[in-house]
Amino acid sequence: MPTRPPLLNIENLTTSFYTNDTVVQAVRGVNLHVNQAEILAIVGESGCGKSVTALSILRLISMPPGRFDSGQIKFNNHDLLSLSEADMQKVRGNDISMIFQEPMTSLNPIFTIGDQIGEAITQHQSATGAEARKQTLELLHKVSIPSPEIRIDQYPHELSGGMKQRVMIAIAIACRPALLIADEPTTALDVTIQDQILSLLSSLKEDSEMSILLITHNLGIVAQFADRVNVMYSGKIVEEATVDSLFENPMHPYTRGLLNSLPKDDSELKLESISGAVPHPAFLPKGCAFHPRCKDAIPRCQQQPPLTNTTKENTHKVACWLYEEGGEDPQ
Amino acid sequence: MTTLISIRSLKKYFPIHEGFLSKNTKTVKAVEGVSLDIGHGEILGLVGESGCGKTTLGRMSINLIKPTSGEIIFDGVDILKLDNQALKALRPKMQIIFQDPFGSLNPRFTVERIIGEAMMVHGLAERSNLRSKVTEIMQKVGLPNSFINRYPHEFSGGQRQRIGIARALSLNPRYLVCDEPVSALDVSIQAQIINLLQELQEKESISILFISHDLNVVKHLSHRTAVMYLGQIVETAPTKILNKNAAHPYTRALLAAKPSTNPKESRDHIPLRGDVPSPLNPPAGCYFHTRCPEATDRCKTERPTTFQLEERHTVQCHLYN
Repeated sequence: MPTRPPLLNIENLTTSFYTNDTVVQAVRGVNLHVNQAEILAIVGESGCGKSVTALSILRLISMPPGRFDSGQIKFNNHDLLSLSEADMQKVRGNDISMIFQEPMTSLNPIFTIGDQIGEAITQHQSATGAEARKQTLELLHKVSIPSPEIRIDQYPHELSGGMKQRVMIAIAIACRPALLIADEPTTALDVTIQDQILSLLSSLKEDSEMSILLITHNLGIVAQFADRVNVMYSGKIVEEATVDSLFENPMHPYTRGLLNSLPKDDSELKLESISGAVPHPAFLPKGCAFHPRCKDAIPRCQQQPPLTNTTKENTHKVACWLYEEGGEDPQ
Repeated sequence: MTTLISIRSLKKYFPIHEGFLSKNTKTVKAVEGVSLDIGHGEILGLVGESGCGKTTLGRMSINLIKPTSGEIIFDGVDILKLDNQALKALRPKMQIIFQDPFGSLNPRFTVERIIGEAMMVHGLAERSNLRSKVTEIMQKVGLPNSFINRYPHEFSGGQRQRIGIARALSLNPRYLVCDEPVSALDVSIQAQIINLLQELQEKESISILFISHDLNVVKHLSHRTAVMYLGQIVETAPTKILNKNAAHPYTRALLAAKPSTNPKESRDHIPLRGDVPSPLNPPAGCYFHTRCPEATDRCKTERPTTFQLEERHTVQCHLYN
């Protein structure tokens, strides 16, 4: 167990979007923390609020229509939500940085990659152009881009998808951030390239003691790369556990459903799918948001949203009425 | 198992013109001499990374793209030699489901028209019995009848993919190309669609070419798997054998790269180096030698031929020859 306090601690965060006729709560009272030098995964389906959580940490939500209705985001014990915009700008890219899903559209097509990596360095450190270029070359080397001396003066269109994602990572780690947020970093890439990028990220984490918040919908990536995992559904964390514990003993019916819907290695049986579809965030069902799709739902699930329960070891948490006092384990 | 469709040395070259009035053209060799057989009621999985030519191959196999050369024998007839009229008569037998459930349905048509139009065109339904025929197919794919007058934008990704499947099935095809039918869907919806395809295939014993980059899905669904790299089939084998005894270094790398959902399984393999070479300028010799950990000097100069390892297990690699 880590003795140091968590690097990032999100308490009761609610991020909403106010449109003309509706209020959409994309993130509804999320609590999560990232420890020093760990990889925390947030896993969930599209529209569950995992990207909005990540963008909230960096305050990259456009306001309006977005608004933080409640909560605190403590990074090294400073609340990021109460910082001025100028102070926040010093945090972005320097203490916390982010890589995005689409390496194709996240780079500026009219600047060379050297310019774009160098910009991060000159923005946050008092480095001259020549120093920045030297550091840029080192970074390109670090993210294993072949022949960096040539690549540094090339434009994004001259690079492949995997190469662009390496450049994105180079920009993100340029100022040695304490926390790297990776929002579906490999979804747009092929499996062999995904493998390269994930190996690179975990070796960077080992070398520099950086923490990574990894957002993904791929449970295989979670199993292989993360230390701990949060499962999200309709804007709430429904289960939190270490990776071993989650895959060995999934508790929430949604987590079980997700794991069962994956094709297994040695089975030709039909997949157990979760019936129905994710509810629209503006029209969430009453009670537990998952109850219309849940096989184990009890009458209480339709009435009240579940509280978060902690198991005895204090590492596995689940938000489900089945585990409340008097509730039965459905297995 | 008897063969339904037989593809022989199929090639597709796309010319690329550089500049205005320029005579300087290059060719992208999207599919380079592929031979494949698909049996009656067989699901053949086709895997490979983006740009390897799997979609081009799938579309050529039902003559949506005209091949540069080669033969496609469907039920004893070379479909490339048919005239338009004969081809139209054959079209209902060969259908396709597309990857993008958002782009492949006409937004101005109701579900009834989307599913029913092809039946009208091919004379399988009259205006008078169209509605009952459409509802029958909708039931088959698990769509409620109340959806019949709705438009595509009212549906989620999974429901739209069901509409796409209904449209393909409306003509009672014997051969179905599924081009990444689940890769745009969420995990929980993916399982629903995979189950549906499997059920329908068993019930109607359709032959399916299942194109995917997801090895887990292909492993679950297909009887036999073909692995494609830069326009060529590098290995084919029954799916179980391929997963246990993959012969080609590329197949082995693909299987190793796939993250396992068991956290106890260690990841001690070395990731494959480099990117897929450009099909505009493929390397000499074996196309995979630039990334292959086991490449020899021979691989750099001589292109490997297809070698039969066992019955129904073929590999295109010098290591076995």
